Amino acid sequence: MAEDLRATGPVEVDESPQRRRVWRGPWRSVVLPIVAVGAIAGAIWWLDYRPDSGSSPYDARYGPVEMPAALVPPGMAVEAKVGSLAPDFLLATLDGGELRLSDLRGKAVIVNLWATWCAPCRKEMPQFVAAYDRYKDEGLEVVAVNVQESPSIIRPFADDFGMKFPVVLDKRSSVSDSYRLIGLPMTYFIDREGVILSVFQGPFLEQLRGTRVQGAIEEDELTRRIQEILG
Amino acid sequence: MAEESSLRGAGWWRLARELDPFRATWRLFTNVRWAIGIIAFLALASLVGVVVPQVPVAVRGDAVAEGRWLNVQEGRFGFLTGGMNSLGLFDVFHVGWFIYALGILVVSVAVCTASRLPPIWRSVNRPAKRVNDAYFQSARHRFEYETPAGASRLESVLRRRLYAVERYEEGDTVYLFAERFQLAQLATFVSHLALIVILAAALVSRFSGFSNGMMIAEGASGPVFPLKNPRQMQVQLLDAVGRFTPDGQPLEYSSKLAIYEGGEEVKRCTTTVNSPCSYRGYRFHQAAYFGFGADVQVRDLASGNVVFRETLSLASTLPTPHVTVRDGGGDVLLDETMVLTDVLSDDQFTYYGRLVALPGGRTLTIGARKAAGQDEWRLAVFEPGERSDAVRVVLSEGESATAGGLEVEYADLQAVPAEFVPDFPLPPDSATGGSRSVLLEMSNVVYGTETASEGTAVEPAASAGPPELTIVGVRPQALTLRPGEKAEAGGYEYSFVGQREFAGIQVKRDRGDYLVWLGAGLLLAGLLVTFWVPRRRLWARITPARTQLAGHAGHLVNFEREMAEMARDEGGIVDEQHGQEGDE
Repeated sequence: MAEDLRATGPVEVDESPQRRRVWRGPWRSVVLPIVAVGAIAGAIWWLDYRPDSGSSPYDARYGPVEMPAALVPPGMAVEAKVGSLAPDFLLATLDGGELRLSDLRGKAVIVNLWATWCAPCRKEMPQFVAAYDRYKDEGLEVVAVNVQESPSIIRPFADDFGMKFPVVLDKRSSVSDSYRLIGLPMTYFIDREGVILSVFQGPFLEQLRGTRVQGAIEEDELTRRIQEILG
Repeated sequence: MAEESSLRGAGWWRLARELDPFRATWRLFTNVRWAIGIIAFLALASLVGVVVPQVPVAVRGDAVAEGRWLNVQEGRFGFLTGGMNSLGLFDVFHVGWFIYALGILVVSVAVCTASRLPPIWRSVNRPAKRVNDAYFQSARHRFEYETPAGASRLESVLRRRLYAVERYEEGDTVYLFAERFQLAQLATFVSHLALIVILAAALVSRFSGFSNGMMIAEGASGPVFPLKNPRQMQVQLLDAVGRFTPDGQPLEYSSKLAIYEGGEEVKRCTTTVNSPCSYRGYRFHQAAYFGFGADVQVRDLASGNVVFRETLSLASTLPTPHVTVRDGGGDVLLDETMVLTDVLSDDQFTYYGRLVALPGGRTLTIGARKAAGQDEWRLAVFEPGERSDAVRVVLSEGESATAGGLEVEYADLQAVPAEFVPDFPLPPDSATGGSRSVLLEMSNVVYGTETASEGTAVEPAASAGPPELTIVGVRPQALTLRPGEKAEAGGYEYSFVGQREFAGIQVKRDRGDYLVWLGAGLLLAGLLVTFWVPRRRLWARITPARTQLAGHAGHLVNFEREMAEMARDEGGIVDEQHGQEGDE
């Protein structure tokens, strides 16, 4: 259809507009493109790091819990450090029950952080089994905190190795975080008042050939620490 | 390059503008030479990253291991090693300056693209529909011919060629403006976006890519992330399969996996080398296979508890000579591929041997001996005691000799998987107690197990029967166990649960992969549209005598030829006047 083009007037033709660059001020020429790149980067980052949906549901009750006030002496810190009260936690056990650490007040407690895939943990475990059998009547309790494994993987190991003490499931590793886990195995020795007397970052000493040591923990050292928390 | 600005002013004004950091940055980032320079720099750095040995993934982050690795590189690069390490040449793709250069290129492309958007957008949406008459003489692509008699049919010719046409009449002159597929000009932005996406993919891979390798025994599991992670998963190897040709060439490796998350099994799958399992963006690749594992258990008989349960990787080999001993009458006293259990070694030689009691009461020490620096294992057969005709022979492979009334033949040398295992539990009532290093050898093996793999004996052909595990060091006499068998020693029960295979599983997650695909698709689309979509823009000036055509088209287009065709279609008389030829 005919159209009156006289209003536009004749003009020069730019045959290569893609070769021209236009300065439109600092915001539109520099800042806005950089913001756009940042927005793309942020979107990619969000897609990569957003909380995953569809992950297995896990009881939100389990994990670190507030220590009952009655169990906290005045001026006593609650943290995973020697001399402080051991942080309280509530975790499901391998047997389907649940265990709260503060319920064990009055007993000497070994809190051992471990996993079946951890070779030093596997080597150490018979020592805890033997120690539990030897000292349980004197008030020793061992709590084996398994880090993020499935019960179907843990149970055969626990049955074979005769772990008769509580095996608790730290599925979200929240308790491990509160106990400052930096490597497996890691063992806290807690006295009857709930105070951490020592921490052992595994593996223990190297095997001493020709001397009577068993497993990754030198027997004398383990016995000494147990007797320390038994009082 | 043209620059739409009012910089053509007084010198001080230009200087003031030049001192504007934003403007200076913009000038730099929109300069094509700058972009080419950055790309060339990155290309050169990438070449360095390919040619110069790069720090292995397993070593990166471990200061001690990195130091050892650098010492090895010093043997190749000498005094340059320190400087090269300081410059990051041994880890080019992770060093800061490389990442910064990638980031600068991304920003540069974005700024450059944004600066070119306005003129291109204006060209697409607000073209010059009425051009100066002088343009018909100066246009890069132009054509003119004698206007055919009667009404001009150029407009209909153009419409038939899918042009959108606009008409303007000025006296007896008709001006036409025609164009088609002008949106194709925007394809250049698609190509630039593709470049940004591909560069972003590199950065995403660098910062969020994940890769972790595990060697897992059948029945065992391993964590995807070291120690703990909010997204922690476990991978359990249910079955590892290796298939081989009769002469031992590998055909296929596959692994059946169970994946756990949050303490629950979430997926079962089979992974092969070319077809990994996937779960929530993580791919589980079959990366390795090893067939010689021994599942060993030690139980304390007093308590009934297991004190040791491991699948041990027997990654070394020990020589196992095939020895035949005959008496003077030719009767065979010994015909065995010998698993050697006694170890002696020093700077001069290595010796593996065993005491063998022959029928008839004679005893021989039979062993394989290799001198330091030599490859040959020679068979040494010695008979203890004071007999004057005691056997004392040393044979090479394939040789035989007669001594002391016995014929000793060293038929051939084979090898069995073996390993010295540290910290193996000793019986509690042993003299040393505790644990120590023991030797494990597994004979009669094939790749895989009869229940798991279509294994075939690699070398040599296995004897009939299941594998046998020999444990040397838990008691004075070596233990030899078949799968399922147990043996008691000093209060412990040692059992060989069975031969197990290992699979190397490489877990990877790289969102950059998807971006690379997206970038490649965008680049392909952008290039296809830019070079193959026939976008045209044409102006026509039609007088009763002459018709003049001028316009521009995409790359690699002979627009004059098309104009000539339009002229012929219209029935015009084509003369020899042409504009500048387009590219062929």
